[in-house]
Amino acid sequence: MSVFTRSQADREALLLPELAALTAHHRASSEGYERILSSLGIAPDASFASIADLPWLPVRMFKTHDLKSVPDSEVFKTLTSSGTTGAGASRIYLDKEAAGAQTKQLGATLQEVLGGERLPMLMVDTIGIIKNRRSFSARGAGVLGMANFGRKHTYVLDENDKPDVEAVKKFLAEYGGKPFLIFGFTFMVWQYLYEVARENKLDLSNGILVHSGGWKKLIDRAVDNTEFRRRFKEDTGLTRIHNYYGMIEQIGTVFLEGPSGNSLYCPDFADVVIRNPETWAEQPVGEPGVIEVVSTLPRSYPGHVLLTEDLGVYNGIDDGDWPGKHFSVLGRLPKAEARGCSDTFSGAAA
Amino acid sequence: MSTSLTQRFPAAPDVPVSDLVSELRAEPPGGRLRVGDPRVVEFVTKFARKLLAPATARRFPELASLGFFLRKGEIAKALSTLDTPAGSLRFPRGLVFHVPPANVDTIFVYSWALSALAGNHNVVRVSSRSAGAAEAVLEALNAALSEVDPDTAAAITATQRMVTYDRSDEVSGALSLAADLRVIWGGDSSVAALRQYPLAPHARDLTFPDRSSFAVASVAGWQRASETERRAAAEGFYNDSYWFDQAACSSPRAVFWVGDDEGARVAGQEFRTLLAQVLVTKQHVTEPAMAVQKRVSAYGAAVDGLVKEIAFEGNGLATLELTDSAVMPREWLGAGTFANACVASLSDLVPVVLRKDQTVGQFGFTTEELTAFAHELAGRGVDRIVPFGSALTFSAVWDGYDLLAEFSRLVTVQA
Repeated sequence: MSVFTRSQADREALLLPELAALTAHHRASSEGYERILSSLGIAPDASFASIADLPWLPVRMFKTHDLKSVPDSEVFKTLTSSGTTGAGASRIYLDKEAAGAQTKQLGATLQEVLGGERLPMLMVDTIGIIKNRRSFSARGAGVLGMANFGRKHTYVLDENDKPDVEAVKKFLAEYGGKPFLIFGFTFMVWQYLYEVARENKLDLSNGILVHSGGWKKLIDRAVDNTEFRRRFKEDTGLTRIHNYYGMIEQIGTVFLEGPSGNSLYCPDFADVVIRNPETWAEQPVGEPGVIEVVSTLPRSYPGHVLLTEDLGVYNGIDDGDWPGKHFSVLGRLPKAEARGCSDTFSGAAA
Repeated sequence: MSTSLTQRFPAAPDVPVSDLVSELRAEPPGGRLRVGDPRVVEFVTKFARKLLAPATARRFPELASLGFFLRKGEIAKALSTLDTPAGSLRFPRGLVFHVPPANVDTIFVYSWALSALAGNHNVVRVSSRSAGAAEAVLEALNAALSEVDPDTAAAITATQRMVTYDRSDEVSGALSLAADLRVIWGGDSSVAALRQYPLAPHARDLTFPDRSSFAVASVAGWQRASETERRAAAEGFYNDSYWFDQAACSSPRAVFWVGDDEGARVAGQEFRTLLAQVLVTKQHVTEPAMAVQKRVSAYGAAVDGLVKEIAFEGNGLATLELTDSAVMPREWLGAGTFANACVASLSDLVPVVLRKDQTVGQFGFTTEELTAFAHELAGRGVDRIVPFGSALTFSAVWDGYDLLAEFSRLVTVQA
């Protein structure tokens, strides 16, 4: 059951009523959300002509306020992410149903590139990242979330964060002849897997790499997505590479890079809107703007239509590997800085 | 070299803090500085002319205001207001250590200039993050030094220093202990941080903690005003609010319309229409990150129940209608974000005012009305009431202090 099947017209027809109903559900269940929409003058019975007409919340709202649409007694899991520095942590509340749905839909999304069975898995991280189950970093949560999609996990880094070349060689000797799964954060995959594989002439041609986490740290090394794919292919034989874009505030929804690379696609239960930061109107294909992510998964908190702090651009609509809009992430919005009287030196002024 | 400082003015090689303190303690060539010392006046007026030079003033309008403030006539006026009772004489305090805010580039100059005019030796910590306007100030100071009389230059060089140093307990500690007066700008956290360092027993602090400000507009006054006056009000309000991204402590965060509800609604709408036109004329740009920040703040205020209506006029102007005029946001909400409410009279605002409130920008009131308001406040808060357009205009009386008086001390003589 592929979740990359819906054309943009189908999405509008099928998702819009569902999202409008979700909007009404959150208004009825989250007082804070209701207050925002009513202060914006959006009538309780407002109808929306398109997905792009739905009211959005800035993703940072979840760092500054507790917004949830389930009573405290039904909160099954609270996710916290530190995210960018200085903004505090996002707090996302899931009830049992929402927690189940996000796992299920993430699985359905990844199945598109992994197939139906669980594959042997190389983790480009250290086992230490998931050792302390009480306090997860965002990285730890990502690693743990992905671990479910593989078996026979081998960690590329040892306890001291040094590449464990022998462990990787052993894994490849055992499982490298058939499809296997590789997961890690983009920067670590480059630094620890690509460089180690190239130096040791490792063959990764049966690998399927799923990676995420932005390009910021790689820009200094003049590595963008195209270069990343080219070098992996030339130096390790790895060609099945899927970057994905997602965030804890819309957990379970990932926008996945298609097989031809360099474009991210929306699963059937999600959509994306690129907005002009001056007018907030939707941008045409090719015009960069702020990324809004839309998903029917967030039922337990009003996170179904979120304006991110990332910039992106549509590469096309219904003309790529899979139907629907496909886009690229271009970078982050710079932080809003204020020049105030009450800001001498950050931290101790001495 | 944790104990050495970069000397920005007069430009000179790095110096250990102990040497700097002994140099500043020495008697200057040509004799001790006095209150209103002609050598300081000569130097400051030369410096002011540099700030008023068209090229500088165009690049940094805030420096033109500073230059204007430091013109010879203005200085004479400020010095003449120093009220020294019969039988007493006024003298400098001695060595003054100034810690200005990093982000408002010009405050350190006002603080320093008034202290120098009072005859003090000064050491000013200039932020290493200082931006364009601060750099232009330091250039102008160094240029002025090379153009004044050599005796004047020698006295200024011996007594006035602007330095930059990385965070250092040793340096901040030594300067604090050496100071007769320590002047701390930059809000509560700066005050708390600097107070770790003991002062000499006779010395004291002059502190400028976190402050916030709001605006009041008379509905009747607005109705009486001509189109020209209304335009000027919108333009003045723009300068008050947008110059420092509304983050300056004197910039208004809330606007209270004083009069009847319907009149206030219409007047407010007319005012905001004009303000939006000013934003267009001034080619005001709201960066996308700032636009998002404003939404986060506005929506957050709605979640908190603080506001009942949010209206955006483009990215530049957000108006948040308060649920209760007695509960206003005092924190920064993003450049061009104004809480808005209507009250029947200025008296209604009296219980709302806190000690933290500094400036009330006003439009359309008479002196009598404002004086009555001040009397009603009776010192519970608010240090200045100024017309729209003057919120950021620095004055020698600031945060309730007569600065020249604070920077000097009295000696009484009886035969």
